[in-house]
Amino acid sequence: MWFQLLLNTLSLGSFYALVALGFSLIFGVTHTFNLAHGELIVLSGYMAYGLSKAWQAPFALTLPLCMAAMACLGQVLLALVRRIREPFELSSLVFTFGLALVIQNAMLFLFTADYRRIPASGKPLRLTADLIVTRNQLWLIGLSLAATALVYLMLRKTFLGMALRAVIQEREAARLAGIRVERMNRIAFAVGGALIGLAGPLFGQNAYLHPAGGMEATLIAVVITLFAGTGRIRGLLAGAWLLALLESAAALWLGSNWRELVSAGILIALLMWKPEGLLARKKPAPEL
Amino acid sequence: MRGVPASRLAAVLVLLAVLCMGQSAAFASEIRIGEINPLTGKLANHGQEIHLGIQAAVDEANEAGGIEGRKVALLTRDDQSRPEVAVSQAEDLILRQKVAALVGGYVDSLVGPLSQLALRHEIPYVASASLQTHLTREGNNPYFFRISHLSGLVEPLCGFVTEALQARSAALLHAATPGATELSRELFKCLKKAGADLPLVEKFQPGTPDFSPFVLKLKASPPDVLLVAGFFQDHLILARQIRELGAPIKAYIGPWGVAYPSFVQEMGRAAEHLFGLSAWNPGMAVPGTEEASDAFTERFRRVYKKEPTTTVMHGYTSARVLLHAVGRVLREGRPLRGSEIARALRTIDLLLPMERVAFDTKGDPLHYRQVVVQIQDGALVPVYPPERAQGTWIYPMAPAASNP
Repeated sequence: MWFQLLLNTLSLGSFYALVALGFSLIFGVTHTFNLAHGELIVLSGYMAYGLSKAWQAPFALTLPLCMAAMACLGQVLLALVRRIREPFELSSLVFTFGLALVIQNAMLFLFTADYRRIPASGKPLRLTADLIVTRNQLWLIGLSLAATALVYLMLRKTFLGMALRAVIQEREAARLAGIRVERMNRIAFAVGGALIGLAGPLFGQNAYLHPAGGMEATLIAVVITLFAGTGRIRGLLAGAWLLALLESAAALWLGSNWRELVSAGILIALLMWKPEGLLARKKPAPEL
Repeated sequence: MRGVPASRLAAVLVLLAVLCMGQSAAFASEIRIGEINPLTGKLANHGQEIHLGIQAAVDEANEAGGIEGRKVALLTRDDQSRPEVAVSQAEDLILRQKVAALVGGYVDSLVGPLSQLALRHEIPYVASASLQTHLTREGNNPYFFRISHLSGLVEPLCGFVTEALQARSAALLHAATPGATELSRELFKCLKKAGADLPLVEKFQPGTPDFSPFVLKLKASPPDVLLVAGFFQDHLILARQIRELGAPIKAYIGPWGVAYPSFVQEMGRAAEHLFGLSAWNPGMAVPGTEEASDAFTERFRRVYKKEPTTTVMHGYTSARVLLHAVGRVLREGRPLRGSEIARALRTIDLLLPMERVAFDTKGDPLHYRQVVVQIQDGALVPVYPPERAQGTWIYPMAPAASNP
């Protein structure tokens, strides 16, 4: 039972991490608090659903297609976000909230109010007498590790990543250092959009698709980003696993209704005592 | 500044007067019925189904020449699955649109506030889907009626688990909503009384993305039957995880959300042998109404290009009942006032495909009983009570491994 709990937690945490990756990157680089994040994930899920139903596209093929489509949509979103005036953070919050409603209603019109689910990828695998792993879990764990590693390597091992990190840390200083911040915004929205595109089909396979179902995904993304700290990609995955472990443990020992209370409690405590994120190091005091 | 010529002003005033008179005449000749349903938001799938059912009843009445020769105008409002929006929309319908009565509503958190509003404005309200006992039993609200109630679910469900399946143990999992909590509480009492063991009773927040810790608890000490008072989307996740993780339960029963063709379609083989409840389905009508049921099904498929469901039929039944009461008031030559329609509703006795509708003094239906259905080879087969059964139940359900 304990190994199964651990495996389920790992897969749930991976699911959380995939949902949060795109949000964290876009928020970190561009300071856009994208409340339409969940709706975009659901939209990507609907695209995968449509591809699999209409053209019997295999699940693996829907992933790159959705990633490409959402990376393009990310550029459209950036073009809209650019028109927002100061105070940018607050205005982007209000703007994306409105956008979320527009996307919700568009999805309601296009895909109806019926709940949809992308079918499982195959039969579960029995590893031992008590340990079962499903294909969905393998997809989640594998893709979250791969996506986290790629984004991490991009940020840490490339000049582009260095520039992106500079923008995350201090936007104006990065501009003064000659970094083209607008270009970094475009890249963040493209990569973030692709990550949203990756999360959508997995969301549709592990949860469900419904025009009003994006709010849960947005909440997950916000909680995980705050939990880990902005721009901390490895921390994001570790934070997602830790949160999943705490939620699962609460559901197992205290009851299913404690799950949300645990995450809400952690979020409140974090905002009060460690607002930079649980896994973020404190910034050193500036040297004179 | 040049003034507006008096002749032009007079012409505009006359035009306005004519328009107002025309509108008043239209108001007087047509019967205005207000409908409030969750057409967007979380509950939109069932809200839209109820809406189609109501629309079908109104269209049917208008095609037959209206009610006593008067056309029925249905004014539909979306409550966005939010109680405060439901109230403001209902106030608009009552105060501005001057509707004669209200119909519709899905789940008690949306229906409850409307029932109080109906009482305040003395406008009859026939709820399409409402369960909570206190809505009718506490206080006196002569303007609130509903075509469903909780015992219509609890009695067949408890009878099926204890008498038909003779299950010795059951687990209860319910959503943290008022209706689901009360259903779970009543089931708990009933199953305890019948001597069943209830080792696991839990609630969850709607929208939970993962039930695997609960499934692990089921695996550790599996009950015979799992009763899940959740909704369509919750079953999509939980039933799949139970299959995948191989929890050895003998029966999975979801009173809401399982007995739908769309659920079978989305779940595929993993839906096999799951039990649900349904008040009506095509081919599953109250005895004596088969012909009317088939006619409704055929017409609905033709006009709306959709498969009618039990939720559609709840909407249809509530609207048919209301229109019948309105017709009676008009036939008796009484004014079409809220009190008169409510009086007519209290004395109604109408046999419809879903149920024979008659209300008790509190506005609850006297004959509402749901039927236990099981998904067998992708079809919804009524299996209990015996008088409505069209097949036998499969128990225990097929092992998890054969249904990925």
